[in-house]
Amino acid sequence: MGILLSSNSILSGTLAFGLPLFIIAIGGIFSERSGVTNLALEGFMGAGAFTGALVAVIVMQKTGMSSSATMWIALLAAAFGGALFSALHALLCVYLRADMVISGVVMNILSTALTAFLVTTINDKVFRVGATGKFHIGIAGKFTIPYLSKIPFIGGLFTDVYYYEILIIVIAALMYVVLYKTKFGLRLRACGEFPQAADSAGVNVYHVRFISVLISGALSGIGGLCLAYYLITQFDAKLFYLGYGYLSISALIFGGWKIIPTLGACMLFSFVKYFALWFATLPGINLSSVVTSTLFQALPYIITLVALIFFSKSNKAPAALGEIYDKGKR
Amino acid sequence: MQNSNSEYIIEMKHITKRFPGIVANDDVSISVKKGEIYALLGENGAGKSTLMSMLFGLYEPDEGEIFIRGEKVKFKSPNDASAIGIGMVHQHFKLVEPFTVTENVVLGIEGGTIVDLKSAREKILKLSSEYGLEVNPDDKIKDLPVCTRQRVEIFKMLYRDAEILIFDEPTGVLTPQEIDKLLEILENLRKSGKTILLITHKLEEIKRVADRCAILRQGKLIEVVNTKDVSTSEMASLMVGHTVLFDIDKSPMKKGDVVLSVKNMSYKKKGESVYRVRDVNFDVHAGEVFAIAGVSGNGQMEIADIITGIIQDSTGEIVLDGEDISKLSIDERIKRGISYVPEDRHAVALVLDETLEDNIVLKKMDTAQFLKKIFLRRNEISTYADMIIDKYDVRSGQGRSTIVRSMSGGNQQKAIIGREIELDAKLLIFVQPTRGLDVGAIENIWKLILKERDRGKAVLLISLELEEIMNLADTVGVIYNGHIDKIASRDQLTEREIGSYMMGVKHNG
Amino acid sequence: MDKISSFFKKFGLGFVHAFTKNGARVNFVKLSKNRTALAFLLPITAIILSFILGSIVLALIGADPFKAITSMFQGAGFLPKARYGGGQNQFSDFMKLLNNATPLIFASLAVSVALSAGMFNIGISGVMVLSGFISSVLIGYSPLPAVVARPAVLIICLILGMGAGALVGFLKYKFNINEVVQAIMFNYTFMYITNYFIYKFFLNPETRSSVVVSDAARLTIADVKVGGVEIVVPLGFIVLIAVAVIVYIFLTRTKDGFEMRAVGLNPRCAEYVGISVKKNVILAMAISGALAGLAGATFYLGATNTIKPETLPSTGFDAIAVCLLGGSHPIGIFLASLLISGMTTGGAYMQARASVSTQVPSLIIGIMLIFAACTAFMRYYLQKMSLKVEDNLKKEGLL
Repeated sequence: MGILLSSNSILSGTLAFGLPLFIIAIGGIFSERSGVTNLALEGFMGAGAFTGALVAVIVMQKTGMSSSATMWIALLAAAFGGALFSALHALLCVYLRADMVISGVVMNILSTALTAFLVTTINDKVFRVGATGKFHIGIAGKFTIPYLSKIPFIGGLFTDVYYYEILIIVIAALMYVVLYKTKFGLRLRACGEFPQAADSAGVNVYHVRFISVLISGALSGIGGLCLAYYLITQFDAKLFYLGYGYLSISALIFGGWKIIPTLGACMLFSFVKYFALWFATLPGINLSSVVTSTLFQALPYIITLVALIFFSKSNKAPAALGEIYDKGKR
Repeated sequence: MQNSNSEYIIEMKHITKRFPGIVANDDVSISVKKGEIYALLGENGAGKSTLMSMLFGLYEPDEGEIFIRGEKVKFKSPNDASAIGIGMVHQHFKLVEPFTVTENVVLGIEGGTIVDLKSAREKILKLSSEYGLEVNPDDKIKDLPVCTRQRVEIFKMLYRDAEILIFDEPTGVLTPQEIDKLLEILENLRKSGKTILLITHKLEEIKRVADRCAILRQGKLIEVVNTKDVSTSEMASLMVGHTVLFDIDKSPMKKGDVVLSVKNMSYKKKGESVYRVRDVNFDVHAGEVFAIAGVSGNGQMEIADIITGIIQDSTGEIVLDGEDISKLSIDERIKRGISYVPEDRHAVALVLDETLEDNIVLKKMDTAQFLKKIFLRRNEISTYADMIIDKYDVRSGQGRSTIVRSMSGGNQQKAIIGREIELDAKLLIFVQPTRGLDVGAIENIWKLILKERDRGKAVLLISLELEEIMNLADTVGVIYNGHIDKIASRDQLTEREIGSYMMGVKHNG
Repeated sequence: MDKISSFFKKFGLGFVHAFTKNGARVNFVKLSKNRTALAFLLPITAIILSFILGSIVLALIGADPFKAITSMFQGAGFLPKARYGGGQNQFSDFMKLLNNATPLIFASLAVSVALSAGMFNIGISGVMVLSGFISSVLIGYSPLPAVVARPAVLIICLILGMGAGALVGFLKYKFNINEVVQAIMFNYTFMYITNYFIYKFFLNPETRSSVVVSDAARLTIADVKVGGVEIVVPLGFIVLIAVAVIVYIFLTRTKDGFEMRAVGLNPRCAEYVGISVKKNVILAMAISGALAGLAGATFYLGATNTIKPETLPSTGFDAIAVCLLGGSHPIGIFLASLLISGMTTGGAYMQARASVSTQVPSLIIGIMLIFAACTAFMRYYLQKMSLKVEDNLKKEGLL
């Protein structure tokens, strides 16, 4: 690239990329803490981004609204689309006794295939713009706070802040309350640790797990669409599935399945990526930013693995994670 | 027809419950007065747990009716029972380990979208002082010892305003001091007007707290006694009874040298406070059947697992033919000459999805007989398997190629016993060898066990069936609370005496 | 949910009663108990259902389902085409298919071996990239002659894979880290690190892909003329057959193979009879890793001759799907792999002849997998239904 990036861009990018990552990870936390292994965040992300992009394109065409305004409607659609798709995983894992790991992998495969097919077919048959694989959704709205953004490095927190970042923070706070303070959250956590206890206390384990998977679908959908807006301003099945769903899984594992540490993990992973991009453009460091960032992209995974090795004593995964719950076996 | 005599808070009338192959409760009728402590006594399989499970809503009776406070009820689930004030403390606690006491108590009955932990806490503290149950609501379950966890289970019931409290074998996991505390708590609860049902096999405790006791045997109600008016040995004999299936021919014992010697064996499971096995000592000689009698859960299963090496962290000596094997691996002990027919054939003795012949040679696969370099000698395996199938009359759909899962329990057991006996080990350990089998199969297996004993093998038999012990044993050791209280020759003990030792009644010596 | 399940129960029973005579009911019960028959029938049902659903989708987008599906199979080489281009025939198509399918079959065997010891290996894609890259650098870019290069590639990939697998097994045992989690970490670590080196040293700027490896190192001989037809010789496939046979013999005929399977089926029983669970888990993962390495060899120096950075080959994940369909039996795995590879390969011809986008085969595969994932439930449901029918038959005195 060779463009000299200002030091602000590091933190700016960290938030713009890291917060969507975070909301996806929260979805994963909800699902896994209720006992349902969720490797399908990648697929849920895609399904949600697809739905959101579709609605965005339709709304922009019909009403001529700007891309930043349609984003809000699109996000709603993304949540819905992600939840709808995730219902399949929920059905398979909770009611149909499928193996949760396999179901997750299958969801990802299906999502890639389905979204690719639908985008092309809809573009061809419905919009009649030819069989292209892209939905153009444009740039999401952002703002910059005048004086604070001038501060070197820290100013990045106030530069190019996308409106979706605010939304994500609000939703995340809400989800925190839900998980730790509400009746539903208490029951959800019980189902993930010892479903028999929840069952004998009168909790319907099946219902709780099903809903928690739907929540993970909705949140992943929102995060996925935000990433689509930020990274590529379009939805294209060939470009979209870059493994960020797996990165969120890595973050939530590193964060011990707890919301605040996972925020830290997401910020850390995201920071590493954008630091690398900036570092590569420094004068005197003549590296292609693409090259350097590739190496740095491995870091989050290596860090998580090392952390798992060193903190193996305290295995913090929910105790009943991955176990199919069968009410008949008392 | 709807109402009934209201002096009694619980009436179970002519309850019958059948499971495949067994009548768990046969026309049982009991009535419990309000404010009573009512005990249910019986051996394993007597039907006490089943009866109380129906009261708690886990099952529905096939015949009969249940009346609570004079009104007929039909429970479809524990929630129904809970709604009218019945609570149960199970043997295996249903507590979420990472949660606090308050969170566990409030789970399922949170009273609002946002969980009000503060007022729940206050209510728990109030209940705590009211009933003398000490607990810190902010403790996490995983940090609490077993007796406190039990208290949390009690809190769950009290928090839901339960009036009728059912306890299923509550003292099995408690130390003597903790048992005292619990019995005190039960008294307090009764003073506050609660009705308590106590399922137990511990006679001394029944004598201490219970008002009345229903004695069940093999699904039938034998008698209901006032505990003040009856002695423990009388209760023991009512409980054990004397039903004879048949008497088996047993030749006199030809006792040889000591094969197995267990000295000072003790075992405490990680995370628990009670010793499951306490200072156990016994010897088994060649040509002898040494039987350990006891009610389930008193440590006898652990002894078998310790001797075979499955449980590694016990203390004490295990001497096999003069050699201390307590540090050896499972494989090495098998090679030194120990055979083991474990209690749970499905979970540990068989690989259910493999063929019969593969299961039969499971322990001998690395012998030269069946192994040529790295390849299994399929022909040898087949021959050997056929021999065992023939000799032990193991029936199956496709002979030695049958997948074991599809075989009947009786035939599976025969295959296991055949496999173990043919290992020609010095010491044979049988745990519940005839569980779930019909009379014909039982007789066969008893004959096989005695044949090995006559051939000079040392046999350690661990059984919950007194009948089996009386028929097979030369020497009997009775285990209670992890300790073998009495060892004597079988001829010196009556069934009643063994029964009372099993129930913890202390005699001299 | 109870209402839905009781509806299904009544529906199923009603179906069985209304549409079959007594003899058929007895056969139904027998069939439900026959595990081998079910192992065969259930995946086939999933496949048929997915093709039906796929046909509906095709019809909805205005394509001719029959034409589309047959042209897909023609493209794969399962069916003969009406007309062939110069130097091609059905045999050459089929050879191409074998070449493409080989990595998938290796990967599926890898999943299957790990599964037989109770482990999930979803890290195959990462191992493929790693082994493909290292063997490309060491051998593929060297001037070694074919006679040395090809075996060297195989050996390097095998050893790398074995090492990676054993490491995963070891970490699982020593530190209790779930193998699925490990696989995710390793997948992306391997991918990004090899990407870095490719971008830095081995990039072909036009193709945005790594420099192609020498033909001598490649496990496919392209453009061989046999009887007037140009075919590819899938050397990798020949290696595959040999390896598959060895693995099969190991699992079924050796003591260690049996012990490994026992650990997977019932680890507690294995413990009770003195089998070391730890050793067998590490062994299984090592073998699985070795097979994954070979998948990498036959993919990056076989089916293709270059490494595209920034992507993990979908092979590693498709393999899980193949095992789901093929049921862990080697024959099932072979057939399922051929089917799935064939559908993807045949997509190009399907687009040419039936004007259907190449995304449709992937979609049908995705649907197939969903149905296949339900087979556990189908089996369970069948069992329950057959018990009920059996009870009824017994009451009527017909059994």
